[in-house]
Amino acid sequence: MSHTVPNQYRSEASRTLSDLPEVRTSIISATDNFNNNRLRAYGEIDTDRWRDWARDVKTHTLTNLDRYLEQAEESLTANGVRVHWAETAADALVAIRQVVREHDLKSAVKGKSMLSEELGVNAYLEELGVHVREADLGEYIIQLLGEPPSHIVGPAIHKSLEDCQQHFHERFGTPLDGDPDTLAQAAREALRAEFLTADLGITGGNFLAADTGTLALIENEGNIRLSTSLPRVHVAFVGIEKIVPRLEDLAGFVQLTTRAATGQPIGNYISLIQGPRHQNEVDGPDEVHVIFVDNGRTNLLASEEAWEALRCVRCGACLNICPVYRQTGGHAYGWAYSGPIGAIIAPGILGLKEAMPLPYASSLCGACADVCPVRIPIPELLVHWRERAVEEGLATTTEKMGLRAYTALAEHPRLFSIGGSLLRKLPWQHGGRALPVLGGWMQERDAPNPSPRSFQSMWKDGIE
Amino acid sequence: MSARQKILGRVKAALKDRQTTELPGPFQAWRPVAPAETPVDGFALLLQAAGGEVVRQPNIDAAAAWLTEFTTNFDTATVGKTVPGKLTPALKCSAPEIAPLGVSMARGAIAETGSLMMDARDGRRSQLLAPTHVVFVHARDVYATFHEALSKARDDLPSAIGLHSGPSKSADIGQVMVRGVHGPARLIAVVIGGD
Repeated sequence: MSHTVPNQYRSEASRTLSDLPEVRTSIISATDNFNNNRLRAYGEIDTDRWRDWARDVKTHTLTNLDRYLEQAEESLTANGVRVHWAETAADALVAIRQVVREHDLKSAVKGKSMLSEELGVNAYLEELGVHVREADLGEYIIQLLGEPPSHIVGPAIHKSLEDCQQHFHERFGTPLDGDPDTLAQAAREALRAEFLTADLGITGGNFLAADTGTLALIENEGNIRLSTSLPRVHVAFVGIEKIVPRLEDLAGFVQLTTRAATGQPIGNYISLIQGPRHQNEVDGPDEVHVIFVDNGRTNLLASEEAWEALRCVRCGACLNICPVYRQTGGHAYGWAYSGPIGAIIAPGILGLKEAMPLPYASSLCGACADVCPVRIPIPELLVHWRERAVEEGLATTTEKMGLRAYTALAEHPRLFSIGGSLLRKLPWQHGGRALPVLGGWMQERDAPNPSPRSFQSMWKDGIE
Repeated sequence: MSARQKILGRVKAALKDRQTTELPGPFQAWRPVAPAETPVDGFALLLQAAGGEVVRQPNIDAAAAWLTEFTTNFDTATVGKTVPGKLTPALKCSAPEIAPLGVSMARGAIAETGSLMMDARDGRRSQLLAPTHVVFVHARDVYATFHEALSKARDDLPSAIGLHSGPSKSADIGQVMVRGVHGPARLIAVVIGGD
């Protein structure tokens, strides 16, 4: 699948459902696993208090963000980290280009980072002549296939074991029925060679503690520990919303994030990075760079209604539980962040026009808000962006016409009553299936018979 | 105006009329995650649940004897810089890139999460590259909570601390769990002292 844009959501979603039914099977099976594991992991802790605490720390940090960003910069600089600031994706790419040029860097290993997907880091570096290798196993698989990630935590969950067997067979000559261990071993060997020769390690950042300048990274495979330990330069892209005030806050956020994401008590490997190698240390990078990225985050922060989306810790729980995401996986959404959270940050980062129709890719069932570890009111924010879309004339013609027609009816009692009696007399059972939109829904369902009398006429006669 | 000034300016402007909230108190589990008699018990329970192995030895001499026994099947090893002499295996040393065994000293461990705290001063390559990783930790350095461990570490931070809570694993291929993807496939924690 090629990279698409959010505007193509409707056609991409229906294309996935009709042409790639195996994607839905893989996504549902993977998200079922995530959901069961999260349920169990939430059950082991005092979840409500953990989530309240995490929400409150994030809210406090975001409402004092200027102060914490300055403090983080000061701590990082004192640790010997070089700090860059990027207003836009283009600025962030210029910042890494400077580092690449300064050190004449040739090859990079990269830990899984959604922000780097958002910024388009890989394509940009390849253009500069830097070889970039995704080192997370899932990211590695889709990089080889030329596909974007379909999930924040499990980038390759839309791929079945059979898909991987076929692909690894062609690339590494592993047997067509090779078990996952055999395939993983082949990838380990190929990637180990790249770890040992790369001169640049690239990561994102899950959290950054302002008081000690500690960058925290969560993973299971060890690829992030290797990417931040072996190459001589480490560059981390960090969204400005990733700050937490205190080193000790990482204890709560790291545990809660992994419980929400995969149900583990903690990620298998946590990197807590202060800066470049000290003189008394035998290895580690000579230079560490942190690139603080805005790229539309201050647009979200400025919105009285929408800023709470910035609390997101990118656990993917809202994707796993979303009945809409589960049908198609992430590709149909057409950008790095899919699912409910993607739909409420896209308007800030891409602009509302470019983000359309993602705020509509939801049934507003509210399941996402129930599982969110930092209690983002996702359905309310989806409705907010829908309201904004109507205000800005971005809603679909059908929705606009429908709303206009309903407004006319609701404002004129006679019309309303005539309309009502018409609806009661129409042959729903037979004609309904021929209607647009509603017809699709009615293919498998019988429409109920409408009441023979209107509520108003029953009210006049006195309801029993 | 620099990008830094512009971003901070935009943040300040965004927050001009926003009500600020208080910073909550420290994170506590509120209810213990893994109820256990001692921190070492809790640590062992969780690390084993994540696929790690735990060996307990009453003192450093017993740990050294265990190591001699354990390493009979290995030719060479890569050894961390902070591993005490007594716990250095009597094997030829090899580069971390080719060693079949890595031996490290942890600066501590965490009962709440089943994690070993690996310090960059011990050497990162020897903690990551060998397929089998033996890590010594003193029972007195096993903290009850992650919060406590960070709080104790804050005045003595190396360039990096790595928490290792099990063998390297991934479920990215067909959602089947495999071990030893990039890091060690086998992780053995040897707890010295305590009961």
